[in-house]
Amino acid sequence: MPAIDRRQFVRQALRSALAVTAMGGVPVLDLWAATAKAETLPPVAVRRGEDIPDLVRRTVAALGGMGAFVKPGETVVVKPNIGWDRTVELAANTHPLVVRTVVELCLEAGAKKVRVFDRSANDPRRCYVESGIQQAVEEIGSERAVIEHMDRRAYRDLDIKRGVELTRWSFYGPALEADRLINLPIAKHHSMSILTLGMKNLMGVIGGNRGTLHREIAESLTDINTVIPSTLTLIDATRILVANGPQGGRLEDVRIKNTLIASPDIVAADSAAVSLFDLRPDEIPTIVAGARRGLGVMDLTKVRMV
Amino acid sequence: MIIVALFLATEYRGQDTLPYPVGLLFRLDPLAALAAAFAPGSFPWAILWPAFALILLTALFGRFFCGWICPLGTTLDGCGKALGRGPGGLYPGRRRIKYYLLIFLVAAAFLGVQLFGLFDPLAIFLRTLTLSLYPAANLMLSGVFDFFYQHSVPLLSPLFNGAYPLFRDTVLAFQQPYFTLSLFTFVLFVVVIFLEKVEGRFWCKNLCPLGALFGLCASRALLVRRPGTLCTDCRNCTERCRAGAVTAGGHRRQECLLCLDCSDFCPERRVTFGFSKPGKGRMGIDLSRRGLLASLAGGVLIAPVVGIAPPLYRRNPYLLRPPGAVNEEEFLRRCIRCGECLKVCIGGALHPAFLQAGATGLWTPLLVPRIGYCEYNCTLCGQVCPTGAIRLLPLAEKKKEVVGLAVFDKNRCLPFAEGVECLVCEEHCPTGEKAIVFEEREVVVEGVATNLKFPRLLKKRCVGCGICETKCPIEGSSAIRVMNEGESRRTKDAWV
Repeated sequence: MPAIDRRQFVRQALRSALAVTAMGGVPVLDLWAATAKAETLPPVAVRRGEDIPDLVRRTVAALGGMGAFVKPGETVVVKPNIGWDRTVELAANTHPLVVRTVVELCLEAGAKKVRVFDRSANDPRRCYVESGIQQAVEEIGSERAVIEHMDRRAYRDLDIKRGVELTRWSFYGPALEADRLINLPIAKHHSMSILTLGMKNLMGVIGGNRGTLHREIAESLTDINTVIPSTLTLIDATRILVANGPQGGRLEDVRIKNTLIASPDIVAADSAAVSLFDLRPDEIPTIVAGARRGLGVMDLTKVRMV
Repeated sequence: MIIVALFLATEYRGQDTLPYPVGLLFRLDPLAALAAAFAPGSFPWAILWPAFALILLTALFGRFFCGWICPLGTTLDGCGKALGRGPGGLYPGRRRIKYYLLIFLVAAAFLGVQLFGLFDPLAIFLRTLTLSLYPAANLMLSGVFDFFYQHSVPLLSPLFNGAYPLFRDTVLAFQQPYFTLSLFTFVLFVVVIFLEKVEGRFWCKNLCPLGALFGLCASRALLVRRPGTLCTDCRNCTERCRAGAVTAGGHRRQECLLCLDCSDFCPERRVTFGFSKPGKGRMGIDLSRRGLLASLAGGVLIAPVVGIAPPLYRRNPYLLRPPGAVNEEEFLRRCIRCGECLKVCIGGALHPAFLQAGATGLWTPLLVPRIGYCEYNCTLCGQVCPTGAIRLLPLAEKKKEVVGLAVFDKNRCLPFAEGVECLVCEEHCPTGEKAIVFEEREVVVEGVATNLKFPRLLKKRCVGCGICETKCPIEGSSAIRVMNEGESRRTKDAWV
């Protein structure tokens, strides 16, 4: 599988955007755009296992190893979900070992700098600590890997050229400026978008009053995603939250799945994770909108399982 | 310096429990101890024993606290020097005012109205620092850093950007603090400072009730100044003593701040300090009987007059107190308005009251959910409260403590009012089983049948943390507001 690099991705995304715009959003012709993209057959890796570091390594190896995504000397942003003041077992945040292992893989691939951050919903200091992620990253003990709080000065308003609901929004500069962005969501129940997966996780690198996005969440999230291309999406489903999401708080709502799902195609990754909740991708409006608007492949028969 | 360091430490830095001494200043504060002693309920010995130690030390050594430790006194000395001080000793009789004030406050507190906090110098200092000086300094400093971050100035920008992490991790607040009453608090502080223009240490000499209390304790102190009377050949001391303690009649031990300056400026080096037998050569406070009775009567009268105000929770249903606050009557009697809880609140939820909590509730902490919410897993305010007005609850109990009840305003809430989906409140609701749930119903919006999710509140699960009100995405007043209905601390409710 040839590595999809960021530039190529953006070019591809722009091309699909042009296609969508040119076809005036007629659904039938949209499908053509999706098919055009499906010709590259995005790879999707699904792995199971209880040893999390090993699981992460096997999943990434299935996609050709981290070297396929991160080149020596590049800067990488690793974006886990650190949204909530909840401990590991409550499945509200990405598992710290997943984060840690991914950061280690980036370092092994020769990344110049790996930055980890998220715009938390609860108090960020509490979230970083309670989630265990701050400690996990700091324990790596490499100067090239940092976990940091969002710098309120680094947000900037950008036009969303392909926006449907949103035409302009505030984005976190460091997330866009990095050479690579690795998206590490945790699979969770969410009452507004049914599930929160990769596409929703990127809400963590935008500014502004995020609550207003919930009014048309599927299209808004797709708008946001058109601006923030991710190199790799790795969905943490070692344990998932099936109710009272996205922050949970009860062990009764947590299911152990010991699963990781990874793909360079964010829509394909999200689609592959949906079955863990006994749902189909076409039941999740965000995934449907993402696929329709050319962000990736929703149809799991049109991906290459590796 | 230590006090400023403690102040900076009164912030969440990743540990659930604050390191021990951040609230030390108020645990030393005898006025806080008095407030707690006159309040109903048990006296928090475990927290306030240092105040008694301080009283004991003062009885032995005199008002060393005023001269050496009090941060307000130190500030006044510093600012006085900068401003230029007025001539001292013009009206030595003014020193009695502070005793009358203390008597007034004690009488009022005894009968149920606690106003120590309004005049406590430690509270004045700390709340001004918390509400005004520190946020303002933070705003200015961040403004400078922001400027050099956003504009690329050769040489300077790299310098400031390089220094930023150090400042961010030490001096700067994690988030810019915002408070109501900042300007009001600041202006009063400036007034106290400008009294220095009238005479040096005007506040300490004439008004400070804590100084008065220490003075009472110190009148039989063992540590005395020699000579105990004015020398016949020199009157230097009467003019230069910052406390006005050296008078023609002798040395007033209860006024002496033990600054020990007189031993330095005495041209003949005659002044020494040493121990003597208790009570020897002591001068009385000589309050006038009329003044004493008037202040006592004032304190006795103000209590019932305040007491006839109708219950607060009926007048102000949005009056919310921090989690763990004792019932309102006791709360007002315990809280000494020090501002520690306001400083430490991680969610920026606590703000000082002006008149929202009644005329005697000035500067008491209110939880204002539209500005900030109570973090579900946080117990910091209970950890810093020096008088037990906010009880220190174990986390498990705190999570069950009901601050109030969230109520939807269906005229504003998006699904109800506009037929638009939202559910941000449900997403943020922190209780394990959410207190805000939703129901999906088919409704007709502008002639089209649509399935919509409508939020609903489950009364039994809501703790009133207010995150729903903070995060409600509509502009202006929130479509869900927390009222004080059903709060845990209310002992009896006429309606239930």
